[in-house]
Amino acid sequence: MKEDDPTVLKAEYSPSDGWRLTKIESSPEELTRVDEAEEKFTQQELPACKPILTPGLVITTLISIGIIFVPIGLGSLSASEHVVEIVDRYDDACIPSNGDDEAAKRERLSFIQNAKTNKTCIRNLVVPKKMKHPIHVYYQLDNFYQNHRRYVKSRSDRQYRSPGSEGDTKTCAPESEVDDHRPIVPCGLIAWSLFNDTYGISTKDNPILINKKDIAWPSDKNSKFGSNVYPKNFQKQDPVGGGKLNESLPLSEQEDLLVWMRTAALPNFRKLYGRIETDLEADEKITVVIQNNYNTYSFDSKKQLVLSTTTWIGGKNDFLGKAYISVGGTCLFLAIAFILTYVIKPRPLGDPAYLSWNLNSATR
Amino acid sequence: MMNSMKIPSKRSTLEKKLDKLILALFSVLFCMCLLGAIGSGIFINRKYYYLRFDSSEKQFDPDNRFVVAVLTMFTLITLYSPIIPISLYVSVEMIKFIQSTQFINNDLCMYHAESSTPALARTSNLNEELGQVEYIFSDKTGTLTRNLMEFFKCSIGGEVYGTGVSEIEMGTAQRSGGKIEVQKATNAALEKGFNFDDARLMRGAWRNEPNPDFCKEFFRCLAICHTVLPEGDDSPEKIRYQAASPDEAALVTAAKNFGFFFYKRSPTTIYVRESHVEKMGKVQDVPYEILNVLEFNSTRKRQSVVCCYPDGRLVLYCKGADSVIYERLADGNNDLKRTTREHLEQFGAAGLRTLCLAYRDLSSDSYENWNEKYIQAKSSLRDREKKLDEVAELIEKDLVLIGCTAIEDKLQEGVPACIETLSRAGIKIWVLTGDKLETAINIAYACKLISNNMKQFIISSETDAIREVEDRGDQVELARFMKETVKNELKRCHEEVQQYLCSASGPKLALVIDGKCLMYALDPSLRVMLLNMSLYCSSVVCCRVSPLQKAQVTSLVRKGAQRITLSIGDGANDVSMIQAAHVGVGISGQEGMQAVMASDFAIAQFRFLTDLLLVHGRWSYARICKVVTYFFYKNLTFTLTQFWFTFSTGFSGQRFYDDWFQSLFNVIFTALPVIIIGLFDKDVNAALSKKYPELYKEGIRNTFFKWRVVAAWAFFAIYQSLIFYYFVIASSTSGMNSSGKMFGLWDVSTMAFTCVVVTVNFRLLMMCNTITRWHHISVGGSILAWFIFVFIYSGVVLPKEQENIYFVIYVLMSTLYFYVTLLLVPVAALFCDFVYLGFQRWFFPYDYQIVQEIHRHEPDNSRIGLLEIGNDNLSPDEARSYAIMQLPGQKSKHTGFAFDSPGYESFFASQAGVYVPQKAWDVARRASMRTRPKTPKN
Repeated sequence: MKEDDPTVLKAEYSPSDGWRLTKIESSPEELTRVDEAEEKFTQQELPACKPILTPGLVITTLISIGIIFVPIGLGSLSASEHVVEIVDRYDDACIPSNGDDEAAKRERLSFIQNAKTNKTCIRNLVVPKKMKHPIHVYYQLDNFYQNHRRYVKSRSDRQYRSPGSEGDTKTCAPESEVDDHRPIVPCGLIAWSLFNDTYGISTKDNPILINKKDIAWPSDKNSKFGSNVYPKNFQKQDPVGGGKLNESLPLSEQEDLLVWMRTAALPNFRKLYGRIETDLEADEKITVVIQNNYNTYSFDSKKQLVLSTTTWIGGKNDFLGKAYISVGGTCLFLAIAFILTYVIKPRPLGDPAYLSWNLNSATR
Repeated sequence: MMNSMKIPSKRSTLEKKLDKLILALFSVLFCMCLLGAIGSGIFINRKYYYLRFDSSEKQFDPDNRFVVAVLTMFTLITLYSPIIPISLYVSVEMIKFIQSTQFINNDLCMYHAESSTPALARTSNLNEELGQVEYIFSDKTGTLTRNLMEFFKCSIGGEVYGTGVSEIEMGTAQRSGGKIEVQKATNAALEKGFNFDDARLMRGAWRNEPNPDFCKEFFRCLAICHTVLPEGDDSPEKIRYQAASPDEAALVTAAKNFGFFFYKRSPTTIYVRESHVEKMGKVQDVPYEILNVLEFNSTRKRQSVVCCYPDGRLVLYCKGADSVIYERLADGNNDLKRTTREHLEQFGAAGLRTLCLAYRDLSSDSYENWNEKYIQAKSSLRDREKKLDEVAELIEKDLVLIGCTAIEDKLQEGVPACIETLSRAGIKIWVLTGDKLETAINIAYACKLISNNMKQFIISSETDAIREVEDRGDQVELARFMKETVKNELKRCHEEVQQYLCSASGPKLALVIDGKCLMYALDPSLRVMLLNMSLYCSSVVCCRVSPLQKAQVTSLVRKGAQRITLSIGDGANDVSMIQAAHVGVGISGQEGMQAVMASDFAIAQFRFLTDLLLVHGRWSYARICKVVTYFFYKNLTFTLTQFWFTFSTGFSGQRFYDDWFQSLFNVIFTALPVIIIGLFDKDVNAALSKKYPELYKEGIRNTFFKWRVVAAWAFFAIYQSLIFYYFVIASSTSGMNSSGKMFGLWDVSTMAFTCVVVTVNFRLLMMCNTITRWHHISVGGSILAWFIFVFIYSGVVLPKEQENIYFVIYVLMSTLYFYVTLLLVPVAALFCDFVYLGFQRWFFPYDYQIVQEIHRHEPDNSRIGLLEIGNDNLSPDEARSYAIMQLPGQKSKHTGFAFDSPGYESFFASQAGVYVPQKAWDVARRASMRTRPKTPKN
């Protein structure tokens, strides 16, 4: 066979004829490509770019991070500044005794655990700045471990989703069924400990409506909680943990529950209570009527009421802006420091004198 | 059998250190769990009524805090278990396997075309060990040398003949900058044992030289003074010489080529067919009667023959070491002695083995006189040898110097260059050989292991004092005396070494020791001194050592000095040494497979060690270090975020991440890129690795896997985990979008996990020296895999599982917060590493980084180019035979099939020489060779 014959032959072996050559279809270019790629791999010659972290590259990168980050930081910080937030701690004010001793503590507990006592509490707040609607009403609990393992796992998503899985309460211990083995719907500790303080807000003249629709994420409402699952046997036996549910409403409509059941990541957390759809003027006095039902007095906790507006970034959160500015600022600062050291103590790029064996011989 | 040892299973030093790291991680794990467990015991309290702590579940029984702590401990162990990088071992094994099977076995630079032998990695778990070798123990014969003695040069009557250039001379010339034009033809031996070309001597031309008589005596001496037996047909082409040593055969072959053809020996006569003696072109058979043969031994270091010419002339021909011949020369003719001495030194420096030739004309009276004494001595019953030596002294005097011969103990190709490169790389080479002291020293010179400006310490058993004791024949006495001598010698050398070390610029040191002394020096009481001393020497030669001693010396350094050792040898006598070293290398492609079978790597030539160590070893070491440290960092970072979360959950052991995230983190989201870096990362390319052998020292010093390096990674892991946890947590405390809704635990944790995956993958890119397409694909693919996974996972409802993650990613991605955090957190986490890397490179650059900078503008195709320069002799045929070797199917494992039809092997054999492609792949290979722009030219 001649060297420059372009046809590609295939060797075949048959017992009768021995080896013979036949033409094969695939083009030589294709084979060549595969072949060369394989050779590049085995000879470790894959084409590659070799980035070198030169001072120039370091400085450029730092400066560009700085240039991008500082404006973003300033933007989100100013957005956060625009948010008007009223935070009012009411757990200590809405209780008859505030002492630190054991007796006061016992008194607090008997007050909150007694269903008969009047737990209405009135708080007067002043709006510091004009608050545009929608104004979000949150309750904030501190030192409340919604992320405790026992708590987090004590739920049954299947039960909440469909009425057919009503008995699916294995994971809900210890709040899975009532004494006669009828399942609790919704089961589990989370639902059992539902937050049940209520707020009523009014200005000088007239009450303000708190809209409690659309406070849960749509996914919870539409698919995680069934629209045909109704509460059963809920809070029907001791101990009663928290709020009760309207048995005539399906779970998906009980948005308070949905919000509560999206367990928080930290022991200090805020949850959406409702929304006010009117503006509040600066210095306007508002009155909040609180039903202080929820027991946070057993453990050292705080209850706070939060009224807050939002911007494009969400609620008041200086952290993101500050973090952006400090990262960007540090980058710019380091870039300048690098430039200065580069001027003071330059190291020529790729100077063989810096090779360790050359350094050693130079010092000797 | 006495020399065999049990086969050790070898693990690399790096892996052993890795075990320590894993152990450290286990203790960190334990501490973390203990801390969490204690915390949980303290935390548990009935006051958290909504958690309903009661005795129904033991783990949450507030009345028994101890049980709570113990049970939580177990929970936390499973929770923090990702800190132990189990997949590391799998990944490293995979990387090493591909490195050895694909890279080492297929490297064209280590492919020996002549014997068609590629390198072979017989084990895959020592790749990185190759990057840390500090001591090489090499056999001589077959490894450094070809066991081929060639008549190379001579000096006759004060004139040097022979135009050849030895390897060592070439090396010297190259170092001094000059280039020697070497014709291929002069390097190839004309005949086995004869590699000499000088028109002044060949084909009778010596008759026109200034000293034709000297030449004649020279050639006759070569043809007569020996103990060689001719075998086979008595024609110059077909005759074969049986000689005790290959040197002798080479000398007789040389005589044959000069026209003094020794073709027959009878008990008393040597027949020489002499050409051009009387006049040009005349050939005559001359019988020389051999009257006495005074044999060679190591004491005499010379050999003489008394012969009688057909015309009655009585001559004593003598050849031997220059020291003994010069003592016995007749006075006068100092010029000749001086020039010959100069030539001897010149040859010696070129690594050639020299012999002095001399003769003496005898008068028949004096001979008869002497012969009586000789016969008497020969027939004596006591001390015959000694008496014979004494008698020989009487006649071997007043010699006339003819000249000297220089025989090249042919080195393997490229050995001196390779040894020089390796010693520049900080590797110390010890030669362990069964040969004699002189031979060993000679080869050490030839290999540039010893040079004249080195201080040599020679501890030899061949001294007069020892010989005297030996003669007394008392073994116990001998042993005692030897031990004492060796001890004293060692002590003396050791003191001297200390002196040299104290002075600032002392000469380099070399130690030569022979087997008998070594036996005593390896005694436990002297071992330490021997070791200390030899570690200061830049080269050590051990001669006359048994295979077991080779292994003992190897283990001495391996165990005593804790350095990484490599043994290389080709024969069965090297097996124990190969097994004793950290890495055993066998020379393949020659007869005898024992060494290869015992070895971890098999290469065809000693010079391939350069590629094996400096290229593959160094790369493997750097890569494995990167893989290991990266795994350590990755898992530590991941686990620590989990650990920080534990503090905010009342130490309950609540998972921060979903189960699936946690289990797939190592398996899918971060698995592939690290394997890619373990395969493809190259700090500098192969050519530069060899051009700057000093880079190898980074491996010897274990620069990339020191505890300091690990600590730096640990620091950044802690920093990054804090950033991940606290940045994500702190930025999620208020309303997340304009509708004011809040995130739950799983939203936050998915956010954090996304940041971890992205950051960890980008951190990998930051540590790459080269970024290929595969880096992009694997890093991009891993991040993409995470998103694809979470899109699917949060979109479907799994039976039997809680729906924690249901719709989470969609909720997250519907907020601006997600994107803002995703930009912030990885940058904030990596920025510290980035500054550190920039700072380190700028102020404390590694050597490889400087080399990278020096050659930053050069394209990276040096290796292919190198192949063409270095292996110019790879003709298309050879390239093809290599290609065939490499084809699939040829290397397939034995499957037990047996059938009597031409198999591949026999088929190829039968087709030898016929240029017909036998396989489809073969055609393909050739087609590709043709289209490739740079094919080796014919």
